[in-house]
Amino acid sequence: MTAAKHRTVRAVEVGRGLRLHRLRTPGGLPFTVAQRGRIPLVAVRLVLSSGAAGDPRGKEGLADFTMRLLRRGTALRDAHALDEAIEFVGASLGLFAGEDQVAVALTTPAEHLPAMLHVLSELVRVPSFPEDEVRTERERSLGQFANDVDDPSLLADRALIRTAWSGHPYGHDVTGTRASVGGFGRKDAVDFHAAHFGPRPAHLFVVGAVDPDEVAGQIEEAFDSWADGPRTGVEVPAPGGVSRGGTVVVVDRPEQTQSQVRLAGPAYRRGAPVQFAAQVVNVTLGAGFTSRLVREVRVKRGLSYGVGSAFDTLRAGGLFSVSSFTKVETTGRLLSVMRKEVDRMRKRGPTKAEVEKAQRYLAGLFPLRTETNESLAAVLADMALYGLGDDWLDRYRDRVHAVSRAEAQEAAAAYCFPEPPLTVVVGPAERLRPQLERFGPVEVLSADDVL
Amino acid sequence: MSPRKKPQAELFPVQEAVLSNGLRVRLVPDHDSPVVSLYTFFQVGSRNERPGITGISHLFEHMMFNGAKKYGPKEFDEVLESNGGRSNAYTTHDVTVYYEDFAAEALDTVLDLESDRMRSLTIDDRSLKSEREVVKEERRLRVDNEPAGLMDEALHALVYEAHPYRWPVIGWMGDIEAIRRADCEAYFRTFYAPNNATLWVAGDFEPDRVLKAIRKAYGDIPKGPPVPGVVNAEPSQRGERRAELRHPSRAPSLIVAYRGPQVTDPDTLTLDVLQFILGVGEGSRLQRALVYGKRLAVNVGVDWSWRRDPGMFAFHLELQPDADVRAAEDALSAELRRVAEEGVDPREVEKARNNLRAHLLREFTSNSGRAHALGTYELFLGSWEHGFGLPEAYGRIDAAKVQAAARRWLDPTQRSVVTLVPEDVRT
Repeated sequence: MTAAKHRTVRAVEVGRGLRLHRLRTPGGLPFTVAQRGRIPLVAVRLVLSSGAAGDPRGKEGLADFTMRLLRRGTALRDAHALDEAIEFVGASLGLFAGEDQVAVALTTPAEHLPAMLHVLSELVRVPSFPEDEVRTERERSLGQFANDVDDPSLLADRALIRTAWSGHPYGHDVTGTRASVGGFGRKDAVDFHAAHFGPRPAHLFVVGAVDPDEVAGQIEEAFDSWADGPRTGVEVPAPGGVSRGGTVVVVDRPEQTQSQVRLAGPAYRRGAPVQFAAQVVNVTLGAGFTSRLVREVRVKRGLSYGVGSAFDTLRAGGLFSVSSFTKVETTGRLLSVMRKEVDRMRKRGPTKAEVEKAQRYLAGLFPLRTETNESLAAVLADMALYGLGDDWLDRYRDRVHAVSRAEAQEAAAAYCFPEPPLTVVVGPAERLRPQLERFGPVEVLSADDVL
Repeated sequence: MSPRKKPQAELFPVQEAVLSNGLRVRLVPDHDSPVVSLYTFFQVGSRNERPGITGISHLFEHMMFNGAKKYGPKEFDEVLESNGGRSNAYTTHDVTVYYEDFAAEALDTVLDLESDRMRSLTIDDRSLKSEREVVKEERRLRVDNEPAGLMDEALHALVYEAHPYRWPVIGWMGDIEAIRRADCEAYFRTFYAPNNATLWVAGDFEPDRVLKAIRKAYGDIPKGPPVPGVVNAEPSQRGERRAELRHPSRAPSLIVAYRGPQVTDPDTLTLDVLQFILGVGEGSRLQRALVYGKRLAVNVGVDWSWRRDPGMFAFHLELQPDADVRAAEDALSAELRRVAEEGVDPREVEKARNNLRAHLLREFTSNSGRAHALGTYELFLGSWEHGFGLPEAYGRIDAAKVQAAARRWLDPTQRSVVTLVPEDVRT
């Protein structure tokens, strides 16, 4: 159907027989097509290197708010017509905002791919942000904050981000706050869209049982008129570290019988070479069901149902955090065990046997990260957004296996809280305070302070 | 009519076998990725429990990771993760499921691990004591400190008077405390025998070789006694039921549930279609009416979970903080009445069918998804082949059938309503 004669498809082999066909529309939208599998469901993902880090001061949550409004009306169709176009054929659409990316993810039965590419193009090019839809979305978001009060885990995460990265563009939850969202109007969304949406800071991915050349023609047709807009995505300065390290922030929820607990310190930016050694440390300390933390907290002491550690890494910096929960009476004890295990890891690092086990774990499970078309599209998008390199998929397992014990020890020394971590606890402040004071000065916030 | 002729079955041929001890084996080879998923389905859930030991199915799920004859305490995950794998499990009212995803070369090791615990699980007081504390913490997380969990618990106790669906899968706190080792031992002998289990293996392997390996690993495990049936003594409902929960929330919530049929009832698939028309997607009826139209709700969900015994068709509404609960309930009732009285548009039925088909395809996009979906279909529908046949079965459902099902099942006298009323504890 589509003539390929004017097109030079650059195909890159990225391992395990996967070839990426890369092109750019005349308007400047880079796109990648990967032919794969037999199931007639195609994953489409459009990412922009923008996000909550680009929220203007006082307008926290605007990237997320704008994303949610994309499907609530365009120059060509109202919200209902858009929903019908997408949902009638069995396609599904997700709109996401992260700290330094926004993404539109579409999964569609293969036969409807051309029509869905047109819908996608419409959403990102000509959203109309109708006044009444803006009002409804604002009310709905505010209503969601009221419901979020009942989620202690979410309150803990919000308090952590807000405190750890205070003053930095990463220092607010992507959904913003009640105060900021309450002030959103149509113009805010229109302005955010104008400032951040355009083909050049975007990248489109199509993964599935498709003919790359045919899809290239369909993309060029659907995105033909998308041009101009911003030249680059959001630039984010490196966060200096974690603010208020050594303090204990308590979000007071007097009625709770269980506390949510978080510890956090600074980590590396996404894609930094240390990531492989750091992941070996993380698996040993707090991933899976046989980590040191699970053994000490859950198996030996029955203190919690779950405990884990994680590196959350973004373009400009990252956080290393440890999370768990326990009944109010044992909160201090849980914190002691968590701190002790992180300290032990920092001082000696993982043993040789632990390094080898973590390597087998990470390498063995790696193929699962790209098993579905959606997950492969997401990983390809991350490779592009964070400059992970074309050999990311092919070389990941070799790089994990290449980590030496000395490198893991260095990573542990660097990230397992060499400075006292920030502690966040959600629960009844009065009952918690006597258990928490030995971990640092205690600051009490209300749930309203973090929403 | 052979299911193998259907397109999905051609994508994923399923080989099956039954061992002499009754263990059912299903193999779904696929060489796209060097990984395998193994699912073990046990036909037991909280419906097989009795008062006094509620939650034993779920507690037992925890006990299964505490060691057996060959692999000692906590070795299961230790060996699995060391070989590039991960495991988890879940328990529902009807079924208990264990699953592992792992590097293809670890398959024999995983079969050795799984068969070891089916053959010779260690049940001792020490591990029971420790897991009991972990489960109590899980209950505090999912129920006691989570309004949705509290509401769901109240709902089941309201809808069911006699049937075991009445109690929560995680069990009552007092029962979790009371379960004894002897209860666990009896439970294991009866419900974790090979004749009450099905093994699904999906991924990168050679089926003939793996079937031999399975025979070797599981073949000597003795058959268990017949599993006792579950008595359904649920009396009929004679009018609407209501429960109110007070909680220090900022916003009210509402669940409205109607008694539904058991999974094998011909109306089950029609209710799947009705579920999609009413509540799945931004353009669904309730989303449009309650979230975007009247702006009463922040989120609306329709839960129609297949159950072996008569289930429930439930509407979950997270409301705006200032919403009037009664107004929300009335608006929901009006929408349901509209379906019963005026019926649905054939285009809505077609949309639901398209989405149900896409949903099925989505389940088939990973090894884990294929094993889980087909295993679940087999357990609930009696055969995995019925799973492949679902798009065709949905194709036979038209607007008239949907309206008839709405009339039959969304009967206001068969309704149970749970409301969450915000209450400030600080005053």
